[in-house]
Amino acid sequence: MYSWNFAPVLANSDLLLAGLWNTLALTFVALAGGLPVGLALALARLSGTRSLSVPAGIVIEVFRTTPPLVQLFWFYFGLPIVLNVEMTPYLAAALTFTIQSGAFFAEIFRAGIVSVDKGQREAARAIGMSSTQTMARIVLPQAVKRMFPAMMERSIELMKTTTLVATVSYADLLYQANELAQKTFRPLEVFTAAALIYFVTISLFSALGALVERRMAASGEMAAR
Amino acid sequence: MAYRWDFAPILDNWQALAAGIAGTLRLFLVCLVLGLGFGLLVALMRIARQRPLRWLAIGFIEFFRNTPVLVQILWFYFALPMLVSVEISPFMAAILGISLNSAAYSAEINRGGIQSIEPGQWEAARSIGMSGFQTLRRIVLPQALRRVLPALTNRGIEIFKMTTLASVVAYVELLHQGKLVASLNFNPLEVYTVVGALFFLILYPLVRATYALERRLARSD
Repeated sequence: MYSWNFAPVLANSDLLLAGLWNTLALTFVALAGGLPVGLALALARLSGTRSLSVPAGIVIEVFRTTPPLVQLFWFYFGLPIVLNVEMTPYLAAALTFTIQSGAFFAEIFRAGIVSVDKGQREAARAIGMSSTQTMARIVLPQAVKRMFPAMMERSIELMKTTTLVATVSYADLLYQANELAQKTFRPLEVFTAAALIYFVTISLFSALGALVERRMAASGEMAAR
Repeated sequence: MAYRWDFAPILDNWQALAAGIAGTLRLFLVCLVLGLGFGLLVALMRIARQRPLRWLAIGFIEFFRNTPVLVQILWFYFALPMLVSVEISPFMAAILGISLNSAAYSAEINRGGIQSIEPGQWEAARSIGMSGFQTLRRIVLPQALRRVLPALTNRGIEIFKMTTLASVVAYVELLHQGKLVASLNFNPLEVYTVVGALFFLILYPLVRATYALERRLARSD
């Protein structure tokens, strides 16, 4: 019978917490970058100008269809050769996850924008708003509210995907756990603790998202699709 | 100076990449069958009348949906052998992690499908004398699975993408083989471009098929 011993994990909990901090930091950077990229891609794809919509469509489809780990390796090992620059694990990860989550966000934005009734747009144009004003003042505010649940889900997926950076030696929670497991010869306790930390963190964000969703639902106009 | 792309070393190593594709497909098929099959079972447990079954299913679903799949694979690979004294191969660890993770997701998809069937269907089947199990198998599941088919196809595509994570525990699949070829020939740019393109070529037809399926079901419902 194996005797569990969490003492080595607790003694090194500062390492795991530093890892968690890096995981959160990377998630928020990719989120902050991914949302504007996603909106830009969605607007380009919906623009009706082929020279914009075709490239946007390609970026969206390629990044949604290929495995994120392949993308990360491409940005970390491949891109520096084309651009002739140094690539750090952090930069490669931030770039990959910004574009990748941007591609997923783009489809959410697009679905949200398309779901806003055509009459809204026509009415805004009829009272003299420009198309940019119509988008910014009439369509997007209504769309964003409908998109919220899907956005939340994607953001949580993003946080889970950030574990991949451990493979290019960025010191996120998983990487720190791996190091600690090798140092303490206690992989069972360390990986169990890491899994629990992820579980608690992600459950917390899910619960927070559900709370906001209910708040928004209470104020109406929250058709699920 | 612009970089000169050279794909010749990759063509010379096509056998290594082909072995990788075979490994990817093998892992994908096993995880697809186990993940979706177990997912249906968990969905049925999740809606069972017995409370312990329901709680077990909820605990399983929540845990596996709220932890990253890479953590699960590494847990099965490094941590599980400490508990049970068996050898866990990279293939086994990847199967366990990916299948259980996918089971948790597809359980929620199936549950949504089953619960979307109006209660009248259950009542009608019961009133003509079918047992609960017969009603589920003959009346509810055929309709429910049809409705969730696009979501399940999407899951299948996700499973295919997840198989790359098995490279982290050195299971021989396409990305792992790519890494090998890149380190032997110092050509990561070309190799990872080709690996990405191969995944795209395999998966994009499936993505398009899913879109088409979604549209068809939306029309017929």
